[in-house]
Amino acid sequence: MAKIENGRLSADTRSIRTISSSSHMDDESSIGSDSEINGFTSDRHTDKYGFIGGAQQYSEESAQDLPPEVLRQREVKWLDMLSNWDKWMAKRHNKVRLRCQKGIPPSLRGRAWLYLSGGKVKKEQNRGKFEELDSQAGDPKELDVIEKDLHRQFPFHEMFVSRGGHGQQDLFRVLKAYTLYRPDEGYCQAQAPIAAVLLMHMPAEDAFWGLVQICEKYLPGYYSAGLEAIQLDGEILYALMRRVSPLAYRHLEKHKIEPILYMTEWFMCAFSRTLPWASVLRVWDMFLCDGVKIIFRVGMVLLKCMLGTREKLKACQGQYETMELLRTIEPRYMQEGFLVREVLEVPVSARDIEREHHVQLKRWRKNRGDLHCKSPPRMHGARAIMASEPPSRQDLRQNPTIIVESQLPPPPPTPQLKKEEKKSKEEKSKEKKGKKKGSMKKTTPAERSALFSDFPYEHIHSSSRPLFQRNFFSIQACIVQ
Amino acid sequence: MAYAYLFKYIIIGDTGVGKSCLLLQFTDKRFQPVHDLTIGVEFGARMITIDGKQIKLQIWDTAGQESFRSITRSYYRGAAGALLVYDITRRDTFNHLTTWLEDARQHSNSNMVIMLIGNKSDLESRREVKKEEGEAFAREHGLIFMETSAKTASNVEEAFINTAKEIYEKIQEGVFDINNEANGIKIGPQHAATNSTLSGSQGGQQAGGGCC
Repeated sequence: MAKIENGRLSADTRSIRTISSSSHMDDESSIGSDSEINGFTSDRHTDKYGFIGGAQQYSEESAQDLPPEVLRQREVKWLDMLSNWDKWMAKRHNKVRLRCQKGIPPSLRGRAWLYLSGGKVKKEQNRGKFEELDSQAGDPKELDVIEKDLHRQFPFHEMFVSRGGHGQQDLFRVLKAYTLYRPDEGYCQAQAPIAAVLLMHMPAEDAFWGLVQICEKYLPGYYSAGLEAIQLDGEILYALMRRVSPLAYRHLEKHKIEPILYMTEWFMCAFSRTLPWASVLRVWDMFLCDGVKIIFRVGMVLLKCMLGTREKLKACQGQYETMELLRTIEPRYMQEGFLVREVLEVPVSARDIEREHHVQLKRWRKNRGDLHCKSPPRMHGARAIMASEPPSRQDLRQNPTIIVESQLPPPPPTPQLKKEEKKSKEEKSKEKKGKKKGSMKKTTPAERSALFSDFPYEHIHSSSRPLFQRNFFSIQACIVQ
Repeated sequence: MAYAYLFKYIIIGDTGVGKSCLLLQFTDKRFQPVHDLTIGVEFGARMITIDGKQIKLQIWDTAGQESFRSITRSYYRGAAGALLVYDITRRDTFNHLTTWLEDARQHSNSNMVIMLIGNKSDLESRREVKKEEGEAFAREHGLIFMETSAKTASNVEEAFINTAKEIYEKIQEGVFDINNEANGIKIGPQHAATNSTLSGSQGGQQAGGGCC
């Protein structure tokens, strides 16, 4: 259980602005919810991602709204993929990749991320591990730092807005569990935003395994003492820029702007604190499928867009000016559609990164000696991870575990649902026309009930329920045949 | 806006001592208790006036966690001033000052002016480090010292401005080579011609706020 000393923590950080009282909060009933709310004005508007007052910049404007029919079709496809994950990954991985590039449907994103990252397999192969770690006390020193950071992660997201509320409690549990899981690594502050993004999409146990996978497979060494891996990746990014945008490369060189100055937060937080939210999600969809090359490519697109023309460079003659520019990236370059298109076009592959890694490692050894932290080799994406830890069918089964806790009755066949049913039939027939290849397998009734129950209903904040319910119904509409 | 000089500052100290809040209070004149944790580096800038001269302060705010120390060295480079911050309500943040100071001395130029700041002075009831201890530490290590509150803005202006004054004095004494940007000082276009007319007195009132 989270040990947040609310009294102590809140005293020195109480907002000087008026804080809306807890009774106005949607999650007033939530366990552990606290009267202390992160400071924000009372006329709060929550965007569809859960950010209050548009706190994650430009999220609304930059999001592409998909027609519901398209979304439902995608949900059907993803449901099929998730129930036959091993086959899809083995035989039609390109299709999985393509669908990640198009964007994972919001209702299935959490589950898809867990499957892509291998967190699902890891969780199944380590049953009870999280519970065990969760029940341990933890190193007081680490806990002290973690506790200080809880209210500093997406403080304007409704899930993390209330002190000692669900979100902050879960964040504490996940981060604490990680320090117990990897005592050699401990807690690094940049892990917190990663864990928080995961928690916005899945329950604590799943988020924990997702975090483990990101820290160990996707970005090994990023959060280890000395931060050598991130510095090395900075050098790799810089070297690869020479090819992607010689102009930007020369500018960075001329003004002696070390990569570590501009890319630390980008890479360590996987852009979760840089981009508008719609773009963060699309980048993560691709990142968890294809690995770190996506992070490199996003970095390169931003550098190229901001520093890639003579005109732009004229306006920023100097280190500080350049740094300022890179901290205020024009929204149009971060817009979801633009960014994804550009990212897909960057001519940098995982192999290029590995090759450059080798070159930079050699240089590092020559100049600075051996690395202090020997990290395991990086896995470039979902397929590599799956190959390294082959799952059994059992590991990939979708478990209806949460329904037991939530005591949520199975969805009754309401008249509304029947209506949806009809609609979904029409859509299905439409979809069949447009389909090139058939799906692997039809959903069985058992799996269908698993779909309802596997969804982390309990975990979802009551305040985000409207959004969730929308998605929830859209799933129902899709799968009822 | 044209400036006579530009000084680069860096803010260092343990995590949670209030580095980002000090910066925000100085540049924006507000206290924001809820903000994202600093990962890597943040920036701020403000114009001040010393001795009738416009001086632009360019401030780099760093991540405080131990593991980020290894990359903080990149930020020290070319800093003319450093604010070394501890939290008067947390003894450990005071105890870590020596290692911070070692880092700063090792990675910066030797003339860098260091201001020691005991922050959160508004929390008198929870004080763990006496003011005298801060003063003694500063004396011992040749630092300037102040207690501040980023929350109430007490002494925040003074901390940044006094550091600038000290740097300005050093320039006058000829300690800093102002033509070498690695010292964290840049001469602005406005001042280049009148460089030789520096007088001994210091004005020290700040220009009316505003980030630049």
